Amino acid sequence: MQTDYTYTDDVVVASAQAHTGQGLGTGNPADAFVVEPPRTRTKKTPRRTRTNFEMLAWLFMRLSGVVLVVLILGHLLIMLVLDGGVSKIGFAFVAGRWASPFWQGWDLLMLWLAMLHGSNGMRTVINDYAEKDSTRLWLKTLMGAATVFTVLLGTLVIFTFDPNI
Amino acid sequence: MSTPTVEKHSAALDAAELGGVKLITVTVRIRRFNPEEHPDPVWVDYQLEMDPKERVLDALNKIKWEQDGTLTYRRSCAHGICGSDAMRINGRNRLACKTLLKDVNPEKPITIEAIKGLTVLKDLIVDMDPFFQAYKDVMPFLITKGNEPTRERLQTAEDRERFDDTTKCILCAACTSSCPVFWNDGQYFGPAAIVNAHRFIFDSRDEGAEQRLEILNDREGVWRCRTTFNCSEACPRGIEVTKAIQEVKRALVTRRF
Amino acid sequence: MQIHKYDTVIVGAGGAGMRAAIESTQRSRTAVLTKLYPTRSHTGAAQGGMCAALANVEEDNWEWHTFDTVKGGDYLVDQDAAEIMCKEAIDAVLDLEKMGLPFSRTEQGRIDQRRFGGHSRNHGEAPVRRSCYAADRTGHMILQTLFQNCVKHGVEFFNEFYVLDLLINDGKTAGVVAYELATGEIHVFQAKSVVFASGGTGKFFKVTSNAHTLTGDGQALVYRRGLPLEDMEFFQFHPTGIWRMGILLTEGARGEGGILRNKDGERFMERYAPVMKDLASRDVCSRAIYTEIREGRGCGPDGDHVYLDLTHLPPEQLDAKLPDITEFARTYLGIEPYTDPIPIQPTAHYAMGGIPTNVEGEVLRNNTDVVPGLYAAGEVACVSVHGANRLGTNSLLDINVFGKRAGIAAANYAETVDYTELPENPAEKVQALVDGLRESTGTESVAQIRKELQESMDTNAMVYRTGDTLKAAVADIAALRERYKNVAIQDKGQRYNTDLLEAVELGNLLDLAEVLAVSALAREESRGGHYREDFPTRDDKKFMQHTMAYQEVAADGTTSIRLDYKPVVTTRYQPMERKY
Repeated sequence: MQTDYTYTDDVVVASAQAHTGQGLGTGNPADAFVVEPPRTRTKKTPRRTRTNFEMLAWLFMRLSGVVLVVLILGHLLIMLVLDGGVSKIGFAFVAGRWASPFWQGWDLLMLWLAMLHGSNGMRTVINDYAEKDSTRLWLKTLMGAATVFTVLLGTLVIFTFDPNI
Repeated sequence: MSTPTVEKHSAALDAAELGGVKLITVTVRIRRFNPEEHPDPVWVDYQLEMDPKERVLDALNKIKWEQDGTLTYRRSCAHGICGSDAMRINGRNRLACKTLLKDVNPEKPITIEAIKGLTVLKDLIVDMDPFFQAYKDVMPFLITKGNEPTRERLQTAEDRERFDDTTKCILCAACTSSCPVFWNDGQYFGPAAIVNAHRFIFDSRDEGAEQRLEILNDREGVWRCRTTFNCSEACPRGIEVTKAIQEVKRALVTRRF
Repeated sequence: MQIHKYDTVIVGAGGAGMRAAIESTQRSRTAVLTKLYPTRSHTGAAQGGMCAALANVEEDNWEWHTFDTVKGGDYLVDQDAAEIMCKEAIDAVLDLEKMGLPFSRTEQGRIDQRRFGGHSRNHGEAPVRRSCYAADRTGHMILQTLFQNCVKHGVEFFNEFYVLDLLINDGKTAGVVAYELATGEIHVFQAKSVVFASGGTGKFFKVTSNAHTLTGDGQALVYRRGLPLEDMEFFQFHPTGIWRMGILLTEGARGEGGILRNKDGERFMERYAPVMKDLASRDVCSRAIYTEIREGRGCGPDGDHVYLDLTHLPPEQLDAKLPDITEFARTYLGIEPYTDPIPIQPTAHYAMGGIPTNVEGEVLRNNTDVVPGLYAAGEVACVSVHGANRLGTNSLLDINVFGKRAGIAAANYAETVDYTELPENPAEKVQALVDGLRESTGTESVAQIRKELQESMDTNAMVYRTGDTLKAAVADIAALRERYKNVAIQDKGQRYNTDLLEAVELGNLLDLAEVLAVSALAREESRGGHYREDFPTRDDKKFMQHTMAYQEVAADGTTSIRLDYKPVVTTRYQPMERKY
């Protein structure tokens, strides 16, 4: 900083720029060392979403959660407690159950809801904890692929199950 | 009305009035950081004689005034109303001026560091601009349509009560900087911005709720809240922050507010 | 160094600054320079309310309000200004409501009103409900609402820019010089008009409700530019500060029915003010409390405080109307106000004096002439609507009414004129000040000098003053000013150098404390907040006029204070004896 300067229009600053919501870049050489959080707020942040995806995802978590409680507790009850518990489970038992469209539907619903609920939960965990955009993209792609694979395979099995195999 | 009250002296009042203070030795451990001197932060211990009834801010002042003038922090009103001195004291976000030494176990070293999730510029000073940017992005002002009335707008006491809790916010950033989602993703609006949106969404005089809700429906909006309740615990004004966020979520689903 | 060009520059972002900014931003290119983030300003600490004769709950009119203001100020009020303030109070409250301020409401949904000290029906008959409030957070709500509206209007803030000098060229305002805390860089702001709204100067007292940041920066730098300071001897001591800490407990607590009691449990205000009792004006209550303490009726082991008793009020009422102050008692004293009385003592609260202005907010350079382009509003200014003692709530009114007026006037003025050329080397003085402190090898510490200043002021220039104590204060301050020349700071860095900031602030405090003591010594009478035990009565013949203090700089650089006096504007009310 100097005290002897010549006043020309060149040094006139048109507008406030020191504090712009970016915070940094104050011209202080020490800025190179500031302790920064992983991701800071940027200009693009207030970006209106055209869809309600996040809201629907949030609602889905609440609703599927309630339904899953019923489905999973019922499932556990039938599998582990009623009619002699675990010992009864065998190929014949499964085959018998899946002969009824009701149980087919139950298991199908349970598979879809549990997988979507779980993977949506994982998606939020990845969103929260992955620091880099690329890491986030990779993790989500992997998880999405695993979910699609599991759901499709499970659905295929339920619908194409042949008790006479 | 004129019953003398001095007879019913409680033990608390006696304790408050006790003149002879017992000083204790307090160790204050502060995470110092001055990029002009060294690129890395460092923990520094200070020992001082303090009355346990004094504030943590008094301890910081005593250090600055008597031991180390380079210690840097923000402070103004010193009684929890201006929101300058939010910091992490023993791992929890508090206002230094609203925390008494005796309440943070002065037997052990008291650790003090800058609030998390915002860029640390020097010692306990962080860059508040991203925080205020999030606040500005939720349109924190009364939006009305039509002509202004000549007198005041009417509002029933119940309608006024509806958003009373969130009007208490002093923008100290204790909530936002206690939020684990915000720590990892500064793009998240954060509890404070949502609280200030809530203050207007539920104000019966306001007509901009739809716009604000749309903003908070964003990917970085209310849906990122994981209801960990850190914000409610951190709020020095006792605002039920998590509840306010849930109410905004509910308003988004039901479109009733 | 950077140079910025704005039409209007506002210094300070508290209530008055932001109210002015909202107006001037809509009319001219405006920058607001503030040494704090705007919402940190001390307007937010105001609690009880803002008076306006809305007559929402009982009969009232602005003329009664004017009378109360004039009487409260012990007739040192400029009555034309008080009339304007009380008349425009109604619109000021309604403006705030329309901006979104969440006032507490009546059952009909109107703005609720409550009693407040010194506010009466029909010229002193009985207390009146005039104070519009939002629980005990009125100041907080005003500050937040104004900030919200600044965001709405896109006001350009320069946060943590500390203004250190005012530039005047050829008698006209040219701009200000500011120090950027974040970087240590010096910025020159060239402006057509400048509004000072930098707040009070209470930090030269030890027990004070004022924030650490209230160090009279605006007053001091205007004063050093040869402009006068008006009525600096009048400082208000709020009766109910938390004992030893000075934290404010609103007068609204007494408005809701709270009672002051001495150690015998006696409601002693009945003796001092038979009609208004606990709601007498602040100077009367503060003196009464000190009299009780001096005469041995104080509470506690050292008998150095009295009680504010709220225990007879229902807890629901305390929760609804006084939530913050009850929490202060719990947090800082560890007592429960439902069941225990709160130990209190008078606390230094508000500077009635300041930079003299006319009703448009234009700063006076002598008794009659203004400095073109220079404005002031809020606690930094002295219009004078507060006279010798400010009525409770009138400060919030002052910032809104005169903040708005100053903002409009400054912006309008900026439209009509061209920039005044900057003086040569505009930042020279500030650079020298900052460099001098940074490079000083002195031995004196800022904290030590400040502590001694505060102790001397508390002992010598508080509620009770005498010629001797004031002379002691003048001597103490002179010695401290001498020592201040040898002050050194530990932090030599550029970034956020708050050590440097505190040193500069102390310089301001010392200058202003001296003005206070010298003005008080010359005022050989007792009026409002200024009470001389050696001259215990009001002397209208000699002192029914405003003090104007000027800094005189001798050829060798030594400074002295020259006192002058300015007549009081009287319109309707002739001075009478003041009784509550």
